[in-house]
Amino acid sequence: MISAPVTLLVGLLVIGSGLLVAQGLASARKGKVQFEALLLEDDSAFPACPSDLVNRIFFADDSKFIQAANSPHLAELFRRERRQVALVWVQQTSASIHRVMHDHKRIARVSKDLDFETEVKLLWLYSELMLLCGALSLAVQAVGPLGVRRLAVYAHAHSQRLAQVQQSFQAATRPRELPRVGAA
Amino acid sequence: MLSQLIWSSSIVLGILLLVRGLQTRLVSQYPFFFGYVCFVLFGDIISFFISHWNQHVYLYAFWITEFVGLLLGCLVVFEIYRIGLAGYPGTTRMARNALALLFVVAAAKGLVDTVSSPGWWLKPNTIELERMLRTTEALAIVTLALVCLIYSISFGKNLRGILLGYGLYVSALAVSLTFFPGEGHGFWWHALSASYVVAFFPWLIHLWSFQKVQVVEPAAEGTDRDYQTVAKATRQRLQGERGQLARAVRS
Repeated sequence: MISAPVTLLVGLLVIGSGLLVAQGLASARKGKVQFEALLLEDDSAFPACPSDLVNRIFFADDSKFIQAANSPHLAELFRRERRQVALVWVQQTSASIHRVMHDHKRIARVSKDLDFETEVKLLWLYSELMLLCGALSLAVQAVGPLGVRRLAVYAHAHSQRLAQVQQSFQAATRPRELPRVGAA
Repeated sequence: MLSQLIWSSSIVLGILLLVRGLQTRLVSQYPFFFGYVCFVLFGDIISFFISHWNQHVYLYAFWITEFVGLLLGCLVVFEIYRIGLAGYPGTTRMARNALALLFVVAAAKGLVDTVSSPGWWLKPNTIELERMLRTTEALAIVTLALVCLIYSISFGKNLRGILLGYGLYVSALAVSLTFFPGEGHGFWWHALSASYVVAFFPWLIHLWSFQKVQVVEPAAEGTDRDYQTVAKATRQRLQGERGQLARAVRS
């Protein structure tokens, strides 16, 4: 039997993941509305963000440059604007992911040679990306694009520490090997 | 008093739905669904007279109609699957595999229960048995609805109404059977009887008039393209987007 705390934890994890995916889908919808506002007649003209844009948005270089000016007003304005740019980037990225999957599903639903396993894997990848977009959107709103990087570093450091603690715990609780009789 | 009201309203609403079905000729479009409504209607009328004649016989009649209704309900789900996904072979395959997976999981759970407690199947009464079957049926409907939602399948107003109403009825029934103590005419007993009446609202709204289902043109959807090639391209594009997101976090 599965205990109640485990059930509760799994339930919370499932609900939390579901909410993050919903947040990702909401970002995709916002991104789509922004594209539609551009009055693009041709769907193929859907503008994609340049790949190096992500480095500029989330890197601290521009922030350091602004801070060097020693103007709190300018720094605050930069932070606000950068957060907005990062949010639009997340929305456009999630809209782009949503569009890729939408195009795929349109073909897959009438496909006679659809492979169930491949399709489940693609749907899983899509859900995973939407979850990531949702988490990123919330993190950008909460701590800003530069804070996202700090959060990632913090989480990575803590996961490393957790792994070390777990390893030492396993070493401490591992049953000791009894010396064999007659062993040299 | 309340039981009589629920009973008589289900008979009146059933007659109204059947009359509208005959007028709009939806009966020939959805024979299993209207056959189910017809069966429940006649079951209700016959049970009404039996309950006034002999309570002991009524108990048997009730459970017999419940289980035959359950089997006919499965045919309704099959009809939704068959008509709704007729033009979508890809989604049909997905739904078929998802439902097969669900039934395998349900069977595995039953097997695990049997192994862990060998006499478990001797203990449950009719209510418990129906609860298990209705829960599985509700899960099958949810799975079917989810697959159709993922692939943006347009069911049309009529079929959507059948799915909505029947899904609502089976879910309400599964919840009521879970909390129903097995005896007495308390809240859950009334909820059990009222769940069928509730289903009539979406049925009557969506089946009041006939609406032609939009037929998909396979050529416009790109059936000539090989699935594996399309899937490979989609995977590559999604993985490219994943790389971008990973860079945002790691940058």
